[in-house]
Amino acid sequence: MLRAGDVTVLAGGTDLMPQTQAGRLRFRPVLMNVRRVPELKGIAEDNGVVRIGALVTITELLDSALVRERLNLLWQACDHFASDQIRNAATIGGNLCNASPAGDTLVPLLALEARVVLAAKPNGTLQIRRVPLAQFLLGPGRSCRGLTELLAAVEVPLPGAGFVGEFYKHGTRPGLDISTISIAAGARRDGAVLRDVRIAFGAVAPTVIRAPRAEAALEGHRADAATLEAAVQAALAEIHPISDVRASDWYRRELIHNMLKRVLTHVCKL
Amino acid sequence: MNEPAKTWSVPDSLIGKRIPKMDAPDKASGRTRYIQDLEIPGALHGKILRSTRVHARILSIDTSAAKALAGVHAVITAADVPWQRPIGVGRDHLPLKADRVLSLRDEIAAVAADSEAIAEAALKLIRVVYEPLPVLATTIAASAPGAPRLHPDRPDNVAMTFDYAQGDLAQGEAESDVVVEDVFRLHYVTHCCMGVSGVIAEFDPSGNLLLYSNTQVPFLHKREFAELLGIDPGRIRIIQPPIGGGFGSKLDIYPFEPIAIFLAGITKRPVKLVFTREEEFIASPTRQPVLLKLRSGCRKDGTLTFRDVETVHDNGAYTSWGATTPFVMMQTISSLYRVPHCKYRTVAVYTNNPYAGSFRGYGNLQATFAVEAHMDKLAEAVGMDGLAFRLKNAQHPGEVTPQGMHFKSCGLKECLTTAAQRSDFLRKQAENRSRWNDPDPVKRGIGMASMLHVGGGAKIYPSDGCGTILKIDDFAHVTLITGASEIGQGSETVLAQLVCEELGLPMTAVTVVNNDTDITPWDVGVHASRTTFIAGNSAIGAARKAKRKILEAAAAKTGNRIDELGLAGGFITASSGEKLFELAKFLRSLHFSDKADLVMTSFYYEPPSRHQDKQFKGDVSAAYAWATQVCEIELDTETGIVRLLKVTGAHDVGRVLNRLGIEGQIEGGIVMGQGYALTEDLRVEAGVIRNPNFRDYKLVTAPEIPEMDISFIETMDGEGPQGAKGVGEAPAICIAAAVANAIHNATGTRITALPFAPENVYRALHGASEPPVWNAA
Repeated sequence: MLRAGDVTVLAGGTDLMPQTQAGRLRFRPVLMNVRRVPELKGIAEDNGVVRIGALVTITELLDSALVRERLNLLWQACDHFASDQIRNAATIGGNLCNASPAGDTLVPLLALEARVVLAAKPNGTLQIRRVPLAQFLLGPGRSCRGLTELLAAVEVPLPGAGFVGEFYKHGTRPGLDISTISIAAGARRDGAVLRDVRIAFGAVAPTVIRAPRAEAALEGHRADAATLEAAVQAALAEIHPISDVRASDWYRRELIHNMLKRVLTHVCKL
Repeated sequence: MNEPAKTWSVPDSLIGKRIPKMDAPDKASGRTRYIQDLEIPGALHGKILRSTRVHARILSIDTSAAKALAGVHAVITAADVPWQRPIGVGRDHLPLKADRVLSLRDEIAAVAADSEAIAEAALKLIRVVYEPLPVLATTIAASAPGAPRLHPDRPDNVAMTFDYAQGDLAQGEAESDVVVEDVFRLHYVTHCCMGVSGVIAEFDPSGNLLLYSNTQVPFLHKREFAELLGIDPGRIRIIQPPIGGGFGSKLDIYPFEPIAIFLAGITKRPVKLVFTREEEFIASPTRQPVLLKLRSGCRKDGTLTFRDVETVHDNGAYTSWGATTPFVMMQTISSLYRVPHCKYRTVAVYTNNPYAGSFRGYGNLQATFAVEAHMDKLAEAVGMDGLAFRLKNAQHPGEVTPQGMHFKSCGLKECLTTAAQRSDFLRKQAENRSRWNDPDPVKRGIGMASMLHVGGGAKIYPSDGCGTILKIDDFAHVTLITGASEIGQGSETVLAQLVCEELGLPMTAVTVVNNDTDITPWDVGVHASRTTFIAGNSAIGAARKAKRKILEAAAAKTGNRIDELGLAGGFITASSGEKLFELAKFLRSLHFSDKADLVMTSFYYEPPSRHQDKQFKGDVSAAYAWATQVCEIELDTETGIVRLLKVTGAHDVGRVLNRLGIEGQIEGGIVMGQGYALTEDLRVEAGVIRNPNFRDYKLVTAPEIPEMDISFIETMDGEGPQGAKGVGEAPAICIAAAVANAIHNATGTRITALPFAPENVYRALHGASEPPVWNAA
């Protein structure tokens, strides 16, 4: 069915249905409901990589001990995701394919250097390609998933022992909100210095983004106030927020400045 | 059908007990049939084509393709109803716009079709050619010399003005030791009823009109629709299905209602027209946005001397009840506290924005926001604490204010002291202040505000009455037929309770009929916190008539005097408490005699109030409600997020009737006030609503609801039903004002513009906001 390419894929429907109802998206001639495909389900660890099936719901992520203990940054983001009802229906694959610059799971997944697994069956044989998340996302609502491809899973390498991360989401209210900005930041303490520093942002650019210069400002450094400030200043040069109905670009910059500092302070236990 | 049990377990009195709402089981289990659920056989579905321009001339409308679509029964424009008349409070707009649109919601054409989908498809086939006109997006633009006239008979675009004065302002100023002045800006919010607007219109072959309608004012609407159609109001019947929220939004007549009637008349079929949620945001009314300048003064000892208020109301494109909110605003200005000299002036200016209707609190949220900010500011200036300053100027029972309001019962001082004590106000206020310079970016604040609102009906119309019919069957089951409308506020439960209290019956012994103008007696409508007071007194009147009749018959049998007999627990009792007759049995015996005249009628017109005169002086309500609310907040200075942690409220409610019901009203009102203060913001830019959806229009959700500590001050109003006053609007009124004072207590910054959304607060704290400036028309 997918081979013909003119297909709308339905999983949880929590993005697809409101978007089509609002007229922002049109159904293609075929609506393909993948909800009951067992191969797209399940969370499992193999050789230091956690494979999360595309159909895994946000609630299932929250209920997973593996995710809570080993991918805690992702778990925190799920805890801020919409409402209970939406978390029961929404899938991680859908959140990835929707490719929103404010997507809640995208920010920690980017920080955790996840890659997506894309499957196609062009001539009867299954073809799989793995794409790092940073390359998968092209712009608001756009990804490099081909029309004949299905996002089958996302693979997340387990961070090293001692990795501590914090997710922060800013909205008008604690539940049922779309990020004004979001931050996922994590690092590992190696004696007095920081290692494996990962910083990602949501809602400050056309896609969720990493902040390599901010990470570099911390990597291998002692976590003191001056280093943190340098990292925050580096981050401000890496973001390109816009003004929209939720916030002005100015306010988004102020939030990144204030809250990245707060998140890093927690992560570095200053 | 089960015959009632022989003995009923009824507590001594139902007053003050916790009585579940009679409609709760149906609503909780999804059985309630709202207008959306009503399927009338043969009904067509109506849809409205709205303007895509904010201000434009309509050059042409081509409906031919829509008419040709299969399943379409009618496509109408103004040309099809040349006899239509202007509607609404201001009688200033036609249901279907003929040659010009003045706002984005404006109705241009309408379709009746076999299904909603066909009606939607037909709308897309209608071609409208516009010639754009300059958009008057602000009151300043609309007041500028040479601005285009939005209504031909209003050369200056002024929709309405109000001028009120008491005392001598110059004298008040001269006597003042301190004078403060601020400009306040109040924003657009909308009701967000969970049940969207809708109507079903149907004519019978004789031309009688049946409307299924969510209106809050069925009897007044009969007259308006009759005027519009040129028929006798007696030929119109309005049935109200269970209404999914009103909050004042359904007090006026709106274009969709006549349009459904037009479609029903032309197609000779029932027509059902129900809004989408987006349509509800775009085409239902808003709370009145206001720019308000307030000057206030006091003496060194804290005595208020004067208030001088000017406001500009953005009226939007048409005049509905929103324009008349100054009636209530000036009451708060002149009479919430004792102030000898007052001046109040409002200009409501037509613009191309959405137009405002009535909304729970009716201007009082806006006025209280300004007045209570100045109560804090003046107190600080003279070195008094906010509580002592308010107590010094508080009204007391018996006061007749210069505006003419007579406070026969008044618990304001008890409200102030109770709320302050229970919240530990003064200690926390001092403690929060001492932490302004702490390094912790998260601050705490506490703030207080009080309110005054009508609580015994409101003389807005020539009469404020309500009628009741009460019948008792031969099983002692009571049918209470009342003019009062139920909009989710719990009126049917409290009315049944008042009747049961008189007749000594349990709540299960009453059925309430309250939704059909062919059956129910006249009532002025559900508004102004009036239903418990007015309809309650009316219901009590009918129950007392019935009681007297029953006891007279019993007395004739036993030889007692009727004052020696009573009704309790389903029995006719002697003063000793002895059960003389089982009521049901006794009534059956009456029904088999010729004395079974057990249908009562009664009415209640609130007596001792008087209309405002031309100078807006008068005593408009039989009783007034009071409240003080203290809000405690946490404010993160690095994000601007304000969290409402706790509300301590003390409400003068006269007397608690249904404790569960009044708690629900107050909790719901607090949450509505919280939304107004913190999150809700209908973003209107150049006449366009940017967020017509629940994703970007932020209602308060469950995790944000604060802890609440509510005290009831029972002043036992002499005229109230069992001593009660109306309380429907009161709880929403103070919150924004109290939160503003709490933000000041947390940070030292006074913000005079709503809402306190994170970016707005953050900007104010960091000197990056544009505080409101006065630019009077």
